[in-house]
Amino acid sequence: MKYVIIGAGVAGVEAAKTIRGLDASGEILMISADTHIHSRCMLHKFISGERDEQGLDFTERDFFERYQIGWKKGIRVQKICPDKKELLLDTSETVSYDKLLIASGADSFIPPVGELRKASNVYGLRNLSDAQAIVKEAENAGEVLVIGSGLVGLDAAYGLLELGKKLTIVEMADRILPVQLDAHGAAAYQAAFEEAGVRFVLERKASEAVCEPDGRIHKVILDNGDQIPCDLIIVAAGVRPSLSCLEGSGIACDRGITVDSAMKTSVGDIYAAGDVAGLSGIWPNAADQGRIAGRSMCGVDAAYTDTYAMKNTINFFHLVTLCVGRIREEEGDEIHIKEDRTQYKRMIVRDGKIQGILLQGDISGAGIWQYLIKNQIDISHIKKDVFDISYADFYQTGEKGKYEWSIPVQ
Amino acid sequence: MKRILIEYEKCDGCKNCSAACMQAHRKTPGTIYDLDLTDPENESRNRILKDADGHYKPLFCRHCDDPECVKSCMSGALHKDPESGHVFYDETRCGSCFMCVMNCPFGVLKPDTVTKTKVIKCDFCADAGGDPSCVKSCPKKAIHVEEV
Repeated sequence: MKYVIIGAGVAGVEAAKTIRGLDASGEILMISADTHIHSRCMLHKFISGERDEQGLDFTERDFFERYQIGWKKGIRVQKICPDKKELLLDTSETVSYDKLLIASGADSFIPPVGELRKASNVYGLRNLSDAQAIVKEAENAGEVLVIGSGLVGLDAAYGLLELGKKLTIVEMADRILPVQLDAHGAAAYQAAFEEAGVRFVLERKASEAVCEPDGRIHKVILDNGDQIPCDLIIVAAGVRPSLSCLEGSGIACDRGITVDSAMKTSVGDIYAAGDVAGLSGIWPNAADQGRIAGRSMCGVDAAYTDTYAMKNTINFFHLVTLCVGRIREEEGDEIHIKEDRTQYKRMIVRDGKIQGILLQGDISGAGIWQYLIKNQIDISHIKKDVFDISYADFYQTGEKGKYEWSIPVQ
Repeated sequence: MKRILIEYEKCDGCKNCSAACMQAHRKTPGTIYDLDLTDPENESRNRILKDADGHYKPLFCRHCDDPECVKSCMSGALHKDPESGHVFYDETRCGSCFMCVMNCPFGVLKPDTVTKTKVIKCDFCADAGGDPSCVKSCPKKAIHVEEV
């Protein structure tokens, strides 16, 4: 049996490990454009110089040898030919497969504003290659413009601050991290970044950016006419599933590659996992999808069921935040807020069930909230301050001392 | 693998287990008699929770069979040791993202209070050998180690 995996992110890596666990002798080959295994969540540590390429590796030491996995790195798949069960690589080589996993991830989305897509000093921050290019470009850049203040935009800024760059961040919304935080939670990070020297321009969009004869953009004009001079531009406006190698393959796509709960695509013996499937954009879920795909590829029944993805943790300037579920208030919500010198907590409760929580400053033992929110557990019977609810209120030990959930039937 | 089994009905909330854990993981030399309980650097890996009726519910890392913390770790800092079955944490690899804290359904994990760069995680007192310090210190024998 020959298993081929396109992509060497966490979905691909977890799939490969899972396959090896189930099939000791099958051939496993990974093919990736990436030349280093790296955690995308740590690219800011590479930009800042805190870690080198090896420091971003999230796998066990000697991963490829230990699990006897082949790896073609720095290579892109150009075409998938399901009828011949073959891949065409950009080296003109063909590779055959019995089972194929597409875990090619996603690409930074550069919006069609001005000549952003054409300029040579505009980067997304998605791959190690982006971070490497940004570091190189930053050597000669005094002023950096970051478009978008989501987690990726702030990661880029956080890394570049360490290099002593002058940074401006433009954000369309009225606050930073608009998807994850409410205004109060966002203000704390904004203040911390501003104190470090970052300038934020909120409620503004880039509207014009022209390449000069050197092929670079030296200023971006905002929708109110303001000009922002820049030597380097980082666009953090989201990602799109990386689907280019699918053309002509007949594999059904929607936002990403369409998969069933076993991570099977519409074409036999082809599976997809991670960002390319467009189901969620966060690490734990991509890893889970990879493991499920690996099991399916070995003929073992498996289903991706823990699909909950409205969850994030944030850590900048030693200020930690956790947000799970809905953050935006709706009519009829019960809002609980608690605040002191070291923390801010905000919870949305509706009909006795928690819809969302935001904890800033102290997230000790906060894992329980995800369970209560995603399973919509009724908490109205617990006679405690809502923020004091803990696993003690659902405590039960079962077989082999495992923790279980004691939830009263309503 | 070995797991700390809990008979929570026996727990009287004395927190000897927490003091023993703090002592076992303190950075400074010394004995339990000079352990600074107010130093935020001394943190316990276990906690005695209370339910709404005031009953004590001890919270100890289960070193789960299918650990959510390991599955959510983006740096490779957390791994389940195939030999002992225990979940170990390598501080030097940790990216301080705290997705493990978010994903532990029982709320066992927490970031360190002082620097917010590390995870406070039970190591089964592996370096010390023998039973974990918490188990050795429990006067009610509410926790014990068993091969499961």
